[in-house]
Amino acid sequence: MDTLTTLLLAFISIVLINNLVFTKFLGICPYLGVSGRIDMAFGMGLAVTFVVTLAGTLTFLLDHLILIPMNLEVTRYVCYILVIAGAVQLVEMYLRKFFPTLYDSFGIFLPLITTNCAILGLCLFINLWQIDNLLEAVVLSFGAGIGFTIAICIMAGIRENLDLADVPDALKGAPITLITAGLLSMAFMGFTGMIK
Amino acid sequence: MMASYIIIADITTLWHSAWPAAVTMLALASAFALALLIASEKLRVTVDPKIDQIHKALPNLDCGACGFPGCSQYAKAVLNDTNLLGKCSPGGPKTAQAIAQILSLQISESGPVRRPIVHCRAHTDDKTYYCEYQGIESCTAANALPNAQACKFGCLGYGDCVLACKFDALHIIDGLAIVDYSKCTGCATCVKACPRNLIEMVPFAHENMLTVACSNKEIGKVTRQMCAVGCIACKLCTKQSDLFAIEDNLARLDYVNYTPSEQTETAMQKCPTGVILHRGPSAPVPRPAKKPEPAKA
Repeated sequence: MDTLTTLLLAFISIVLINNLVFTKFLGICPYLGVSGRIDMAFGMGLAVTFVVTLAGTLTFLLDHLILIPMNLEVTRYVCYILVIAGAVQLVEMYLRKFFPTLYDSFGIFLPLITTNCAILGLCLFINLWQIDNLLEAVVLSFGAGIGFTIAICIMAGIRENLDLADVPDALKGAPITLITAGLLSMAFMGFTGMIK
Repeated sequence: MMASYIIIADITTLWHSAWPAAVTMLALASAFALALLIASEKLRVTVDPKIDQIHKALPNLDCGACGFPGCSQYAKAVLNDTNLLGKCSPGGPKTAQAIAQILSLQISESGPVRRPIVHCRAHTDDKTYYCEYQGIESCTAANALPNAQACKFGCLGYGDCVLACKFDALHIIDGLAIVDYSKCTGCATCVKACPRNLIEMVPFAHENMLTVACSNKEIGKVTRQMCAVGCIACKLCTKQSDLFAIEDNLARLDYVNYTPSEQTETAMQKCPTGVILHRGPSAPVPRPAKKPEPAKA
C-alpha cells in the first residue's frame, strides 16, 4: 500500500471508526459539558483539534528522539502531560498576543483542554498502535481532533432540539443526554468493518 | 542479615535506574519552563490595571443586562466609553459610584431603580381557553401558533421569563408570571424573553407601584368574554385621577409621575375588574379571582 492510501485510511479510521469519543469514551467531560450550544461546541472542537495536532506531533517526536533511545518509556505519562500542558500554555500566550479575537472566543476552553483525556489518550494510542512514521502520527492527531469536533457538534445539535422536546420528567437533564450519547455511540459502531 | 543486603541492593539498583529518569524529567521541565518564560516575556500583553479594578467592583453575575456578554467585557467597554457607566442594573448606583471613583469621575444622582411589572393579572381560572394546548412548553412556541388561549395579549404562563431570569425572581403562579421583588435586580432579561411584551421596566419611586395589570386592546365587550379580569376601558379611573389615560381600549398609568394619592387609591378601588393593583415587595399577591361557575346545561 502506498503512503497516501495509508494516510487516508488512518484519517478515516480515527475520525469515524476509532472515534475517540464514541468508541474509546475519551473526552466525555467536554463532550457533555460544552455541548449546550452548537457555536460553543464548534469552538471547543476547533480548540481541541488545534491542540491535539500539536500535542500528538510533539509527543511523537519526544518519544522517538528522547524517551526510546534513553530507555525511559516508564516516564511516558508524566512527560506527555508536561508536553501537553506546556504546548497549551504556549498556544494560549501566542493567541492572546496575535489573535485577540480568537483568544476571546476560545475563552475558558483553551486552558481546560490541558486536562482533556482525549488528547493524552490519542498520544498514548499513537504509541500503542506502534505508529513509527511522523506523517502518520500527524494525520492521526489531526483526525482525532476532527473526530472530536464532529462528535461534539452532533451532540450539540441534538441537545439544542432536546430542549424543545417533551422529555419525561424522570429523564430530564443529564439522563436523556447520556441516553443520547449511548445511542450515538451505537450508531457509530456501524462504521466498524468499513476498513478491512 | 541476608534480608538487609537485598534491600540495600534494591535501593542501589533503584538509584542507578532512577537517576537518568530524574535527570531527563528535570531537563525536560527546565526546557519547558525556559520556553514558557521566554514566551511570556516576548508575548506579554499589557492590560490596563483599571480594567481589573472595574471588574472587581462589578457584581460578577454575567447577567448581560448591560448589553455585553459578561462583566469582563463590560469592564473593558466602560473604560473606553464612560457613557456606558450605570448600565449595570444588578449593581445599581453603588457599582456605578465605585466605577466612577476608579475612573476619577463624578456622577450625578440617578433616578429611582427600575423594576419590571407584568401587564397581566389573569391566573388560569380567569382566562378562557378555546382548546387545550399540548405543544412545546414555551411561550414563544405557544405564541407562534393560533391561540389556544382566548386572550391574544395576556400571560401564557409557560415561563419563558422564568427560564430567562438568573436570580430566581420570577415564578409562574397559577398560570401567571409573578415577580419576586425581593430577589429582582432589575436586569431586564425577562423583558426580552416575553414574546408578548407584557413586561415593562418602570421606575419604582415608591416601595409599591400602582400598575395597570392588563394589556388587552380589544373593546370592553370582547375583553369580558375572554378574561374575567381584563381592562374593559370603562374610563372610571380616568375620572378619578389625571395620571390615568385610555389608549387603544386600555387604561394607561403615567408611571414616571405616579405618587400615591387619594385619587389613585380610589381609582384602584373603583376599577370594576380589579386590573389596577399594587405590585412591589410588600404588596399582597392577589388571589386568583374565581370565575363564576358556568351554568350546567
